[in-house]
Amino acid sequence: MTGNWLIELTGIVLTALLAFTVGMFYGGLRRKVIARAQNRVGPPVYQNFLDLLKLQGKTTNVTHGLMTHLAPVWVLVAAITALLFIPVLHGGLWFPNFTFKGDLIFLLYLMVMGSLGMALGVGETGNPNGAIGVSRGLSLITGYEIPFVLSLVAIMIQFHTTSLTDLMHYQQATGHWIARENPFAFLAALFSVLGMFHYSPFDIIGAPAELASGPMSEFGGKYLGSLMTGGSIFAFVKLVLITDLFLGGAGHPDAYTGAAGVLLGLVELVIKTFLLYMIPVSIGIVMPRFRTEQAVRFFWRWPLLFGALGIIWAVFWK
Amino acid sequence: MSETKDIRIITRPTKEQIRQAQIDFAPRCTAAGRVNDKETQKMVQYILNFARKHSLFLLAYGTGCGAIEIPATLTSRYDAERLGIRGAATPRQADVLMITGYLSTKTLKRVIRVYEQMQDPKYVVAFGSCTINGGMYFDSYNTIKALDRYIPVDVYIAGCMPRPEAVLKGFAKLQELIQNGNAGNGECYRKNLDWYRANQQKVIKNWDFPDEYNW
Amino acid sequence: MGIIYVLGILIIGALAAFFVDDLNRKWTGPVAMLAGFGAAAAFAFLPGGIVRWRILGFSMHWETDALAGFFAWIVLGLSALALMYSVKYMEGKARQGYFYASFLTSVAGMFGVAVSKDLLSFFIFWEIMTWTSFLLAIYNAYYGVETKGIKYIIFSAIGAYAMLTAIVLALGQYHSLEFSDLMAAGAFRFSSGNWYIPVLLLLGFAVKAAVLPLHVWAPAVYPKTPMSFTAVFSGAMSKMGILGMLLILTGIFRSATGWELTLVRWVLGWLGGLTAAWATLQAIRQNDAKDLLAWSSVAQLGYIVTAVSTGTRLGLMAALYLALLHAAFKGSLFMVAGAVEKQAGTTDFRRISGLIKRMPWTFLTALIAIISLAGIPPLGGFVGKWLLYESLISETHAYFLVILIFFASTSAFLYSYRFLFGLFLGQEEEEAKQITEVSWWMLIPMLALSAVSVVTGMYPGLIFRPAARALESIGLPAGQWDMSILSNVWGNQTDVFTVGSTVGILFVLWALFITFKGKKNTRWLTTKEISTSGEIPAPEDNFTFQRGFFQPFERAVGRLYRSSMDQLWEDIGAALEAFFGFIRKIYTGNAQTYAMYVIIFVVLLILFRNYIF
Repeated sequence: MTGNWLIELTGIVLTALLAFTVGMFYGGLRRKVIARAQNRVGPPVYQNFLDLLKLQGKTTNVTHGLMTHLAPVWVLVAAITALLFIPVLHGGLWFPNFTFKGDLIFLLYLMVMGSLGMALGVGETGNPNGAIGVSRGLSLITGYEIPFVLSLVAIMIQFHTTSLTDLMHYQQATGHWIARENPFAFLAALFSVLGMFHYSPFDIIGAPAELASGPMSEFGGKYLGSLMTGGSIFAFVKLVLITDLFLGGAGHPDAYTGAAGVLLGLVELVIKTFLLYMIPVSIGIVMPRFRTEQAVRFFWRWPLLFGALGIIWAVFWK
Repeated sequence: MSETKDIRIITRPTKEQIRQAQIDFAPRCTAAGRVNDKETQKMVQYILNFARKHSLFLLAYGTGCGAIEIPATLTSRYDAERLGIRGAATPRQADVLMITGYLSTKTLKRVIRVYEQMQDPKYVVAFGSCTINGGMYFDSYNTIKALDRYIPVDVYIAGCMPRPEAVLKGFAKLQELIQNGNAGNGECYRKNLDWYRANQQKVIKNWDFPDEYNW
Repeated sequence: MGIIYVLGILIIGALAAFFVDDLNRKWTGPVAMLAGFGAAAAFAFLPGGIVRWRILGFSMHWETDALAGFFAWIVLGLSALALMYSVKYMEGKARQGYFYASFLTSVAGMFGVAVSKDLLSFFIFWEIMTWTSFLLAIYNAYYGVETKGIKYIIFSAIGAYAMLTAIVLALGQYHSLEFSDLMAAGAFRFSSGNWYIPVLLLLGFAVKAAVLPLHVWAPAVYPKTPMSFTAVFSGAMSKMGILGMLLILTGIFRSATGWELTLVRWVLGWLGGLTAAWATLQAIRQNDAKDLLAWSSVAQLGYIVTAVSTGTRLGLMAALYLALLHAAFKGSLFMVAGAVEKQAGTTDFRRISGLIKRMPWTFLTALIAIISLAGIPPLGGFVGKWLLYESLISETHAYFLVILIFFASTSAFLYSYRFLFGLFLGQEEEEAKQITEVSWWMLIPMLALSAVSVVTGMYPGLIFRPAARALESIGLPAGQWDMSILSNVWGNQTDVFTVGSTVGILFVLWALFITFKGKKNTRWLTTKEISTSGEIPAPEDNFTFQRGFFQPFERAVGRLYRSSMDQLWEDIGAALEAFFGFIRKIYTGNAQTYAMYVIIFVVLLILFRNYIF
């Protein structure tokens, strides 16, 4: 029994490390892509690691109270807990986690936990810019969560399951991606992902010049470093979630086993998540910003329509 | 033509006055005079300094005319981001405070508070000759003449205004100082707070800073 | 016999409190509290039993079966804690005898409603419960607060007359008022031809459960009532409406198929969903903590009504679970609002803020209650939401209703945050420096109710067992329930114990990391020392952002905010008044017109006597 527990713990740590590394590299890659789009060189891809090292190496830190002190902890806990309930590789051989113990509805609510914890910490700082940023962020959540939930409900009723593992299993077994089985649901989820990443045009929350970066205005040093870590892990979580739901997930334990299988699975995961990540990044490079009410109304128009069509498609699919 | 009443007669200071001024106003915290006061492991320090020099967050705060050169440095042609430099919105997130040109006493009060709200290790980069000796505004009643009497400065970049190439060279010099552990005067500032406060209060007339230093 | 003891202790306590108040004002609260705890203890330790008696030709039947026990525990538990809270909350106020007498009688009424097994005693206790709560709703008029008791009485009267009509009709049709007899005879089915009986009864229950469009009294009355009673008012009394709905709809649920069930699911389900969405939108606009909580109660009741309307195993369990959890967290939230009101004098967000350092325990209670309200794992509210969503998706296939409920739930994050931010976070006012934490008499009930949310977050089975037994006692299938694992009909599971322990362990680890890394050189600042672009705020400056907090959301919702259900009722009232003003013209005051009326009436009777008689 103890051996089993140790393997689980190692798996958890490995998963978290993988999410952290991949997330940070994606952040650096994003800056590189933006730079190249703007016809300049840009920072190296490992730049986010240097930022993190520097932030954690700050010799003084400033906090405003217990809630602010714990705000990055909330974000980290929410990100890592969400990560543990999403199957990273199909079959979960080297990355065992609790995928059988939580389903999609639970994940929906868990992903909001981080934002709320951070909002509490921001509120305690006393900075009005932070509070304004929080009010915008919460309003934006009501925008993009609706098409997301529509798309999730559509695939839940199409495949009669709320478990992520079952959906991945279906995609592995039939070889069809759910993106093809229910394209409207996929479109609605893509729109929501745009909102979730808070890149342009939905980055009104942390507008650096207009709002003094909103919620992050009073965080520095180790707190900002932990927030960055949590944000990277959470970005990875969102990407893997969409990949698992719609793009077939990664890893084929039936076809390839052992270390080679895991490696191939990881490569496939990285390719799929990177291509998926490029969608919000490339849209973010060229778009200006929406105001909050414009952004919320946007999500309640076409993405909502696609989600509703997705549900209708799912009902009549059989 | 009306009579000229206020003729400023600039007399030459005596040798005694010059020597005394040099003693009084010798900057307490400079790059050259700093000793690496942390005797931790060399490897850790090396890695941390490497990270610090390659990840500089500049406070987006343009205090004077030199701010016009900052967007040019950050954008595509001169691309400061390849050195890891990016903008930060508030002093809590920033490492580097740029004093870009002349500082009126009104701005100096805010600059001091902003500097004190930043977290260590923090660096100050001064642009232009106004920060060195008053520059174009050497005889103005309202500007300060030597920046490092009021806050410690790490790197001066000469010019009026320094071009982006000069700015990049200045940041490269800052990186060199960081790697050698010679930059970052926050602690020295706190140790010599009385001296700095005395200088600050001489020029800032409406002083309303709280007494305890706890930003 | 336990029922008699419980009722007796409550009534005697009410009378005692009323008369003790004249002797010594300090004893009224403790006497009432003793009565409350005594009643709870009597219910816990004495065997319940059955009480049957006949009066004036009607038979009364009171029994503590599992369903009655479930709701009775909600009532008695919450009331005992609220009375303990009330001792210090009402300290120094006038007319405490009147307050506690009405309070205890109301509790007795609620308990009676829970244990009644025949319609007549149900109605009698229902009315006792309602008019005593009306007396409490107008209590604050003594202090010059503009109470809206008249709205409450009108809507309660509508419900009560509807119920009375249904009772009389049922008696005439079925010659018995026992629930078991009526259910066996199919009295509460729409197909039996007496569809008006369940409809009228449901109307009465819908008023108490604040279902759209009959909800308008709740946001008017809840904030103006003293907070210690509002905890019970919103926490327990609204659940009596839910209990009534459950009893009436059992017959339809047992049939499990047919057009009646679909009708119930569509009508009642959508009403519940619309209530939730509408009330959430209104709660977001509020600038006072009490108004916000009142609208939030209406919204949460909307979820419970939707859960009841499903009639499935998961849905009914969600309804009972949410009912208990709502009593716990809403009770504690109203207690928090009362604590802030007592210490700071107001609960208006625009006038106070930043109380976290002054009232940390109150903040902790509010934090736990809000997390539970928002339905965030690993606390208890999440389980109820999970069950509701699963039942709507997998059992009743109400896809668009689930979207509406989800919209309401997501928007609930907004007012949840606003409650915490508005009262506790942000910067402090200068005058707030002498505010202290409330006394332990008020803190212990709040913390006890928070403990409910925390414990059921990891062990929801503690509520599943009694709820399942309650459902079985009225003949509805309840199935197997696990202590920590939630499962739906498709076999998918969520193990809340794993979730809770993961979150807990990770939280502790990361909190330790972030605290001890660089502990010596972490500076702890006050909320006044913020980076305000280099400015130095004066001590009396308060930069907390409170006005127009959700302006972007309100703008996004836009036109919906211009409608008002209240306005609709006012318009109906005005139209009725105009109509009555027109009818009044019959009374001309002229004796000759009256003589003409009599003659016309007699002529009509003679002409149409064949058709009438």
